[in-house]
Amino acid sequence: MTRPNRLRLILRDLGTTAAFASMAVSGQVPVWALGLVLVAVLVSLMGWRPFARAPRLTAMLLVPLAGALYLAVAAGQMDLVVAACSFAGLVASQRLLSETNPATDGQVLLAGLLMIAGGAALSGELLFAVCLLAFAVLASLSLGLAVVEAAVPPGEPVPVRHVLRPLFMGVLIAMAGAVAFFVLFPRLNWNMGVRRATPGLGPATSGFADTVRLGGSGTLKSNPRVVLRAKLTPDPGSQRLDAYWLGRTYDTFDGQEWSTIGAPNKRRRTRVTLRPGAEKQVYQRIELLPAYGSRTLIALETPAKLGNALMHTATGDRRMQLQELGGDELRFVEEGLGYSYEVYSVPPGTVTDPGKLDQKEMDQLLALPATIDPRIEALAHEVVGNETDPLVAAQKLSSWLQREYTYTLELGGDVADPLMEFLFVRKAGHCEHFATALTLMLRTQGFEARLATGFFGGERVGDEYLVRAGDAHAWTHVLVPGRGFVTVDATPAAYRANQSLELLESLVSLYEAIEGMWRTSVVDYSFRDQMNFLRDMSRPPRNEPGKERTQLPPLRAWLTAALAGAVVYGTWRYLSRRKARAPVLEATRFVDSVERQLAAAGVRAVDGETLEDVSARLTREAHPLAPAVSPLTRRYLEARFGQRPLQPGEPARLLKELKHSVEAHKQQQQQQTPRARAS
Amino acid sequence: MNSPARAVSSLPSPATARAALERVAANLSLAVQGKDKEVRLAVTCVVAGGHLLLEDVPGVGKTTLVEALARSFALSFSRVQFTADLMPADILGAQVFHAQTATFSFRPGPLFRQLVLADELNRAPPRTQSALLEAMAQGQVSLDGATHVLPRPFTVVATQNPVDFSGTYPLPDSQLDRFLMRLSLGHPSPEVEARLLTTRDASSPVEALKAVTSPEELTELRAQVAAQRLDDTVAEYIVRLAQATRAHGDIERGASTRAVLALGMAARAHALWESRDFVTPGDVRAVLAPCLAHRLLLRSANQGAYTRDEATHLIEEVARKVVAPR
Repeated sequence: MTRPNRLRLILRDLGTTAAFASMAVSGQVPVWALGLVLVAVLVSLMGWRPFARAPRLTAMLLVPLAGALYLAVAAGQMDLVVAACSFAGLVASQRLLSETNPATDGQVLLAGLLMIAGGAALSGELLFAVCLLAFAVLASLSLGLAVVEAAVPPGEPVPVRHVLRPLFMGVLIAMAGAVAFFVLFPRLNWNMGVRRATPGLGPATSGFADTVRLGGSGTLKSNPRVVLRAKLTPDPGSQRLDAYWLGRTYDTFDGQEWSTIGAPNKRRRTRVTLRPGAEKQVYQRIELLPAYGSRTLIALETPAKLGNALMHTATGDRRMQLQELGGDELRFVEEGLGYSYEVYSVPPGTVTDPGKLDQKEMDQLLALPATIDPRIEALAHEVVGNETDPLVAAQKLSSWLQREYTYTLELGGDVADPLMEFLFVRKAGHCEHFATALTLMLRTQGFEARLATGFFGGERVGDEYLVRAGDAHAWTHVLVPGRGFVTVDATPAAYRANQSLELLESLVSLYEAIEGMWRTSVVDYSFRDQMNFLRDMSRPPRNEPGKERTQLPPLRAWLTAALAGAVVYGTWRYLSRRKARAPVLEATRFVDSVERQLAAAGVRAVDGETLEDVSARLTREAHPLAPAVSPLTRRYLEARFGQRPLQPGEPARLLKELKHSVEAHKQQQQQQTPRARAS
Repeated sequence: MNSPARAVSSLPSPATARAALERVAANLSLAVQGKDKEVRLAVTCVVAGGHLLLEDVPGVGKTTLVEALARSFALSFSRVQFTADLMPADILGAQVFHAQTATFSFRPGPLFRQLVLADELNRAPPRTQSALLEAMAQGQVSLDGATHVLPRPFTVVATQNPVDFSGTYPLPDSQLDRFLMRLSLGHPSPEVEARLLTTRDASSPVEALKAVTSPEELTELRAQVAAQRLDDTVAEYIVRLAQATRAHGDIERGASTRAVLALGMAARAHALWESRDFVTPGDVRAVLAPCLAHRLLLRSANQGAYTRDEATHLIEEVARKVVAPR
């Protein structure tokens, strides 16, 4: 195989890989399909085509795979779209490993297009866009090279270096044109009919499950993805917010897991009041980002009223009802891409009514696991002493835990009794260990307490606060008579919030910023957005005092118009220059035809001769074809170098004349030959 | 690449230009027989506005060719025999003191002619050589603070003997670069030599020549040459040829930028022979060796003097390797 051929195949295979990746980034393609395609891609990139000898037999392999996929769909284990996407990947792999010919190339690229369509159905997010772009560039280059390769006569080298640059330029111009088209022309939202878009890197939190298994989600602490954005009124103004964002609470611990006994309240409401309001409430406008990956509402402690909830979907925003569950948890009724809502919270320290806890729930606040080690109670008593005030006791225990125990994310997997392990063996753990220990130790001393989970912290960016996945936290609520639940946090203060690397954090922030731009300016960019953009561009400047009101568009509109004009002019210049060169190419094609006809008559260029040289040689040798070739050569030279392009139909006429001369010459030769033989 | 001069209606048409060139060439062939190719190249060089270096052994008709050129174009002519004691003032001229009026006046030297034959240029000391070469480059002479413009059209034809180098000052490469072409006439064929013996009468063939064109027409021809169309691809071809000489393993120093320009001008002039107002790659190849051979510094031992054939051979090799636009 020649080198350029190989480059084209590599581009083709990489393009197909990008197309497959556009589906894979959704995270929905099954692992076995991913593995098979990956192996096929690697093998084909190395230039091996193991299926080349038995293309039909290997194609038959696809039949059982299709059957397996069908069964998976029929059994409800796999989505139809996912199954179709996986199958497209397998078909592409089989073609990649088969022999290379124009038909296979076409099928590979067609499979690529199908996979891109599949990728659009599974995910319309930024990574999909990157894959789409990569596929478009690579496939275009590969197609371009294929055309050049087909045009080059067999045995001659393909001028890869010469064509790659114009090819690349062509692809770039096409991309720029597509972007301009996208921005300038109104369109429908193509996402309307497709499935829900998924968050780019997948959900960042493990969600708010009905249970919390102790020692489960320690790695969350290093995840810097932003899951929540909040605007607070009154604005605290500080760079870092040391605040508890409550998600839900748990009252039952079985020695391994936390859960809530409160039966889920199935009531659905648009506005939920959790407890009576106070005078100084903190108003929050909160947005839960797609990275959050859960339906549980988050609010600053202590939430009193929540409402005005909107669900963001790929096709727009929708007003949403809230579902009230046990453990003060509120959930969105449906699953969306992201959510926004408003909350009023009572500031910490305010006396609040714990609200509507029934007797069963109240009892549960003192419940201990059946198998609790008596040493825990002894230890708690040792720390608390005869203290009767729940808050003082909690603070004593909390201080002691912070002092005597160390924070760690190095967890050794499941153990039989994680609390005993934490308190007496390892003496190190993360927030869930500290919070669980504090809660249960309080309960052993007769104080009502529960576990609360959510986030801690908040980083100011602009006029908003951002909360990251790594800020996920667990703490303790201790019930103080007359004051309600009071937050006590046993985790050492330094370890409460996100501990991700700065570099990782900035990289993830950058990615999220780009993804946000992609979402607002591409995925969710509607006809109305376009109209708004144009209106903003052309709206006259505001009436400034002391200046006369003008109806003329602002400077930016003029500048944009000038820029657009410059682009149009530049394109026109470029195209007209190309047009001027087009006859030149026609002249070159003409000379090719002339040379073919001359070759048929036995006149061949030798030693790099041009038609000019051949014509001069024929004249010198007084060749019978010289009178026919000479004017034709002159016409070619005029067209090629003298800017007198060949007129429409002229090449055909000239070639016809040459053909007559060539045939006459051949006949003459044939007549001469028998005579020579006869003599 | 249309030059504005192209629009000037006073330019001769390509056919007229070719007729003039053919007339001159035919006239020259009366004096220099059997050297059609060299004669055509010499006319090309003059019409391209360049200076010509004739390198050959004595007695092959170098001087005859130059005198015939002067006569054919009706140019004012002077011949300077370069010798070891020739001083710059001997060719440029000098300030002469007039005792009666107590003033100086400039007396022009033999350089102030339209066609100057610098015979055996390499015999003159470098100072004199460079005075001549400077005049060739500038088209003017500066003496004692005054500038004297040389007559137009102005052409220098220099000769040098490639064999007898004793007591000479070989021209530096940078000065060789100022000659548009280097030609060698070579000995006439035996037939021509025999004809010379039989037909030569008392008068020199040159003296019998009549002008077939005028200095004004030469000026117009030069304007036409400057207005010839040079397609971008042909210009690129010229540059690629020059680059190929620079990259060639046997060539120490390849074609200079001045050589590239010279090649372009010579090719433009050559196109006139085909009644064309545009240049083809064939025109470029036709003048390639005469324009480049004397400018290349080869890696081989004798650098310059005896490497004419070698340089020509290398240039032909380069021309074969560099693909012409089509």
